[in-house]
Amino acid sequence: MRYLISAALAASLTLPAAAQTNPGQARFRALYKELVETNTTLSAGDCSLLAQKMGAHLKQAGYPDADLHYFTAEGHPKEGGLVARLPGSDPQAKAILLLGHIDVVEAKREDWTRDPFTLVEENGYFYGRGASDMKSQVAAWVDTMMRLKEEGFKNRRTIKMALTCGEETSTAFNGANYLATHERALIDAAFALNEGGGGRLNAAGKPLMMTIQAAEKFPQNYQLEVTNPGGHSSRPMPDNAIYRLAAGLTRISGYAFPVQASDITRQYFAKLSPQVGGEMGAAMAAFAKDPTDKAAATRLASDPSYNAILHTTCVATLLNAGHANNALPQRADANINCRVFPGTTPEQVRAKLQELVADPQIKVTLADKRSEVPKGPQPINPPVFAPVEKLVAKMWPGIPVVPSMSAGATDGAFLTPAGIPTYGVSGMFGDPDGNGAHGLNERLRVTSAYQGRDFLYEVVKIYANQK
Amino acid sequence: MRKFAVAALAACLALPAAAQTLRPDQQAFRGIYKEMVETNTTLSSGDCTLLAQKMAARLKAAGYPDSDLHIFTAPGHPKEGGLVAVLQGSDPKAKAILLLAHLDVVEAKREDWTRDPFKLVEEGGYFYGRGTADDKSVAAIWVDIMVHLKQDKVAHRRPLKLALTCGEETNGAFNGAHWLATHERALIDAEFGLTEGGWGTMQENGGKRIALGINAGEKLSQNYVLEVTNPGGHSMRPVKDNAIYRLAAGLLKIGAYDFPTQSTDASREYFARLAPLTGGEMGAAMTAFARNDKDAKAAAVLAQDPRFNAAMRTTCVATLINGGHATNALPQRVTANVNCRIFPGTSIETVRAKLQELVGDRQIKVTPQAARSDPSPAPPLTPAIMKPIISEAAQRWPGVPVIPQLEIGATDASFMTPAGIPTYGFTGMFFEPDGSRLHGLNERIRARVLYDARDYLTDLIKLYAK
Repeated sequence: MRYLISAALAASLTLPAAAQTNPGQARFRALYKELVETNTTLSAGDCSLLAQKMGAHLKQAGYPDADLHYFTAEGHPKEGGLVARLPGSDPQAKAILLLGHIDVVEAKREDWTRDPFTLVEENGYFYGRGASDMKSQVAAWVDTMMRLKEEGFKNRRTIKMALTCGEETSTAFNGANYLATHERALIDAAFALNEGGGGRLNAAGKPLMMTIQAAEKFPQNYQLEVTNPGGHSSRPMPDNAIYRLAAGLTRISGYAFPVQASDITRQYFAKLSPQVGGEMGAAMAAFAKDPTDKAAATRLASDPSYNAILHTTCVATLLNAGHANNALPQRADANINCRVFPGTTPEQVRAKLQELVADPQIKVTLADKRSEVPKGPQPINPPVFAPVEKLVAKMWPGIPVVPSMSAGATDGAFLTPAGIPTYGVSGMFGDPDGNGAHGLNERLRVTSAYQGRDFLYEVVKIYANQK
Repeated sequence: MRKFAVAALAACLALPAAAQTLRPDQQAFRGIYKEMVETNTTLSSGDCTLLAQKMAARLKAAGYPDSDLHIFTAPGHPKEGGLVAVLQGSDPKAKAILLLAHLDVVEAKREDWTRDPFKLVEEGGYFYGRGTADDKSVAAIWVDIMVHLKQDKVAHRRPLKLALTCGEETNGAFNGAHWLATHERALIDAEFGLTEGGWGTMQENGGKRIALGINAGEKLSQNYVLEVTNPGGHSMRPVKDNAIYRLAAGLLKIGAYDFPTQSTDASREYFARLAPLTGGEMGAAMTAFARNDKDAKAAAVLAQDPRFNAAMRTTCVATLINGGHATNALPQRVTANVNCRIFPGTSIETVRAKLQELVGDRQIKVTPQAARSDPSPAPPLTPAIMKPIISEAAQRWPGVPVIPQLEIGATDASFMTPAGIPTYGFTGMFFEPDGSRLHGLNERIRARVLYDARDYLTDLIKLYAK
């Protein structure tokens, strides 16, 4: 209820919302603004600069230099990060790690309604690249670390925070992978909290559930390539690389991979079912009971978010062909981004794509390998889940806490195999349309940002003194 | 017969053909040609000005005073310059002849080519390299003629003007011929000009020469941009509406469409005269089409050959696509370039409307790019122009006719003719059915064709210059 009231309040106020916030929120908002307004795209941004800015705030809050570790890898001067430590009182207790990536997906000013690198607050939303993915959560991590230091918080376990670069681009230098490989001791922890979990709202803005991400699909890019001798465009030939590729892409677009289920997705749909209600809720219950129920799966697939965790998905994301406007194309390439359901191999998907395009002249190859294929989901770990359940019950009574499989990939793919099981916990509620993450006009509800900040601060304190 | 003997000889020689069979003057020409091909003049990474300077240095060495060598560049285009060279004639009243060629070439990616596109490779009787045909073959011959006439003090009445320009290959780029016609009209003033185009036809593998061509009108080159925008989103969460799939579906519809057949007086004459030389089913179709351009059966046969297909209708083809901004994001914007070659008499807007109708999707926006030039009238094929061409051809290639044809490409003649310098697309070169792979991979020209055209054009220009 509290949620709805604040949403209504925010919508009806005409004064700048920032003016309404308390001093703590104002400082958090300033951090968030600085994060969003420091461009950290691979093409034109600078993660190292942003890591230094965040480190400076921590230093001001009282962190000694010895507890602030900036890192950059050779050849990647702008793709650095920061590991900060707040030492705990019990040297035997294992640390907890707060993980966040500070890089963002590319954003072109001309495509966006507002400047993507200016934090704009409008109609109850924060807009900007990274507003949702994931500078809001990074702002909450830095804010929490500052507050704990300033307040002289007594933590039994050491609290570590790692801000890294390169999460968003599968071929780029990945800071989390670098830390797991080269600085394993520095980030050692019992478990890590990361993006990937969070609250889900319905279209009307009503909270439905809070998820803890405990599994993820495997991201794999495939390259489709057609070559052709080309020629002068004044003399078109029947065989054309662009048309050949277009026909293959059209065939892929019409295909849906077979429906699959895991314990986590079944639990997820079972717990979500009463929250959603209606026909969709009934489909969730039916699917949780019997994943071979075709009618239920079809109903679920009508919602892109549910569809994404029902099966492997593949979608064309990049297309490039030709070398001059007056020449027949010699080469046409497409990138197909697949999200592979656990248990399916990347090669099986490649073979399926090659079969779908039905044209041996369209070569389908694995484009890259971001991380190792995970062996299985993390355990649904009570010490990680219990504090979240307790806090959610307090802040959003009646909202279930649900283990989830993320359709997206996170840096958990590097840390979990390195022995730091990583869970997605954010406390921030997102809209059913995905909040424009990676897309145009990315946004987050103002209330979600502030409540998420409160939630993360409290939950870190619980973990820090957990027995 | 001579042709076959030469081809057979070339094929059985294991030693580099160049060194074995060339006269000294041909070797000198080959040096000019090699320097041209090996100087990259693409818009993306080349330098036309540099090549213009290299050619000016050659002309200077041949005896041209600096006052007759005009290297030009327009402000803001330092690498897109060119050269105008003037060879004074003996009669101060006589009007000049303009030899026009473009120095720039279409982009070529090393990884896509079998050989380095910016290296002149002679192999199996062909010269390979970007620009070996389009248009460094012509440019090298013009420079060679200018050198020869000066160096060997060949008597001639009329002045000769050479204009080497940049930007012919890229719509939207700075165009040197256009610039000269606008800003240096007096410098290039001439009674008429010769430029690329009008390529002749020959059988494949260096077979029989069938016909020489001379341009009688050009199709209009016009680019259209197709654009789809979409809110995008995270690729882990695909949605039904996808900008790439939408554009792909639209392009497939354009690819499947054939514009209606059309003809001009010149194109009907072209098919009528080519018919007996071609013979067989294709020849019969040419005759039928020349009689009735709505003969669907004849058109279907002609359409099997891309050259003939292009000579009887507007054609449109997708040449570029660019879409998406990250591997892991749904595409927000996808654009394609569709290059159309519009038949004389059809408007740019008519074609745009047809493309929009074909894609059948209002979310695919079809917009014309800036037009390259206005449609240019065909220069008149007067006896003064045609007689030397025909007599020289008859002497070298008995029985090979010179046939006026509709140019399916676009040339810089479209800037010169409207500026009052009627410019003819005529080269004396013959292309095999692969069209010399102009603009494509592994562009090439038969070495014998090039050397013969050089001899032919040299004699032709001397005739005109008298």
